[in-house]
Amino acid sequence: MINTVEPWVVLSFSAVIFCIGLVGLLIRRNILIVLMCIELMLNAVNLTYVTFSKMQGDMGGQMSVFFIITVAAAESAVGLGLVIALFRTLRTVDTDEIRLLKE
Amino acid sequence: MDSPIINPEFLTISPEQIRALTPYLVVFGGALLAIVLSVLRVVQPKWPVFIAVLLTALAGAAASQMLAPEAEVSLFGGMMVSDTYSNIFNILFLMSAAFTLLVSFKYLDTERMQHPEYYVLVLLSALGMMLMTSAIDLIVIFIALETLSLGVYVLVGFRRADRRSNEAAVKYFILGSAASAIFLYGTALLYGASGSVRIDQILSLVHSGGAEVSTPLFALGAWLVILGFLFKVASVPFHMWMPDVYEGAPVPVTGFMTTGLKAAAFATFLRVFLGLGYGSGLTAVIQSHIHDVLWVCAVLTMVIGNVVALTQTNLKRMLAYSSIAHTGYLLVGMITGTASADGYASVVLYLVAYAAMNLGAFAVLSILATKDDVGLNLQDLSGLSRKHPLLALAMAVFLFSMAGVPPTAGFVAKYQLFYGAVQAGEIPLVVISVLCSAISVYYYLRVLVFMYMREPVAGAGSDKRSVSPWAAIAVLGMVFATLQMGVIPAKMISAARRAVASL
Repeated sequence: MINTVEPWVVLSFSAVIFCIGLVGLLIRRNILIVLMCIELMLNAVNLTYVTFSKMQGDMGGQMSVFFIITVAAAESAVGLGLVIALFRTLRTVDTDEIRLLKE
Repeated sequence: MDSPIINPEFLTISPEQIRALTPYLVVFGGALLAIVLSVLRVVQPKWPVFIAVLLTALAGAAASQMLAPEAEVSLFGGMMVSDTYSNIFNILFLMSAAFTLLVSFKYLDTERMQHPEYYVLVLLSALGMMLMTSAIDLIVIFIALETLSLGVYVLVGFRRADRRSNEAAVKYFILGSAASAIFLYGTALLYGASGSVRIDQILSLVHSGGAEVSTPLFALGAWLVILGFLFKVASVPFHMWMPDVYEGAPVPVTGFMTTGLKAAAFATFLRVFLGLGYGSGLTAVIQSHIHDVLWVCAVLTMVIGNVVALTQTNLKRMLAYSSIAHTGYLLVGMITGTASADGYASVVLYLVAYAAMNLGAFAVLSILATKDDVGLNLQDLSGLSRKHPLLALAMAVFLFSMAGVPPTAGFVAKYQLFYGAVQAGEIPLVVISVLCSAISVYYYLRVLVFMYMREPVAGAGSDKRSVSPWAAIAVLGMVFATLQMGVIPAKMISAARRAVASL
């Protein structure tokens, strides 16, 4: 017998993950960690979709998750490419060093 | 999505649907062809790719124009819709892409980065924009948004060896992805509250006044979606990325972003905004909250955009802040559209007019830019009227249009927008908008003063630039469009009215 988890537990859990991602994006200084935070936010969304899908007995939400996973993969590929390009010219991945455009 | 069985009508495609899909198929096929051509080793790939992409963009625009559906055509089981609204924007995006390509050809030679991928990316971003404005499913909107964003992230960082370009790309990527994630979380909550990600189904739920739409979950979801869009259109307080990105990106790409990307974001924003039931059935509390928050955003956007633009000496940065200010005017149209006679037609008209004049201004800047985008400061334009009288004249037309001086497109668009706001009874908002518009005249005309009343100075951009015929065509076309819309606005106004009729 598997214990069932209440939906609100999962929903709050994914809300917390989303907030961790958002806060991490705002305060962390390493771009690689920032990229991980973006992934965290997208995965929190996936979890939310799956939970709502299960609650409503509708497959549409689970279908959306596949598309989001695909897009997230494409996004991290482009993101890492841009970070490598930045690292080649700047020799750092610290966002505090990225301030050329502010002047 | 309603039933788990595969519906046979999803698997067939009617002649009307093929007709409606033609522009998308043309652009997609052209992009694939260009990718193949770009690996050809027999000739220098820039020519075939450039011609193929340019012809594709023009053919797509012509197809949108000629095969315009009389009635709304539902595509892909109702996930997309082809109507007059998406049609007018398809033409706008493809023309914006075509003119960006014309301007870029010589620019890429100057920058020594003649890579054929550039043209393909512009075309694919335009395809993303087209899909985004025709989508009525929030997930399809997200996918289209990412299609266009991923292309534009790379285009922004296209000057790979330049630190400013790299920085701009990474900044834009991080903030843009965060905004997409917030938007997506909003759609997830809307799905939870209403059981659908289709905006037409959400709207009918709102109209039927179901208990689902008055839950906090629905309100939070709607807010997050609106927040994501406010970020994409660079409304204050989410505008900080825009000046940095505009300054770091290659000049033609900046022009493409201010026109295509902004129009796409606003066009979709409008569709989703109305789909959430603004002005037509939202509960009074949420309605007034959204109205008040957008009111404050619009005022802050106009004031901050215009005031900060006053102090800028780099022209790209100045036009970036001016772009933020124009976002503010457009938000005024969004707030007041439901209550004015012309509705949202003025917003569409403004987007078209803004695209024409901005594309032109950035075309002139791309001609003037020397390697690594140097030579775009205010003093570099000193005495431009002696070196390049025609370019200076074209730039003057675009700047007058942005300031809203008749007989240009900018005047007509602003007049319609503010007149609609007066009809809606938003007098304080109109007064603030007009005052902000008056401030903006100062920094637009300051450029004219430098061009016409200062002696040329020696410096990085002081030598006479050679103008490529492609770029000359682009500038001429935009001067023509700006003046034509200003002198004979009736045609464009009626087209905009037809477009919003299908919303």
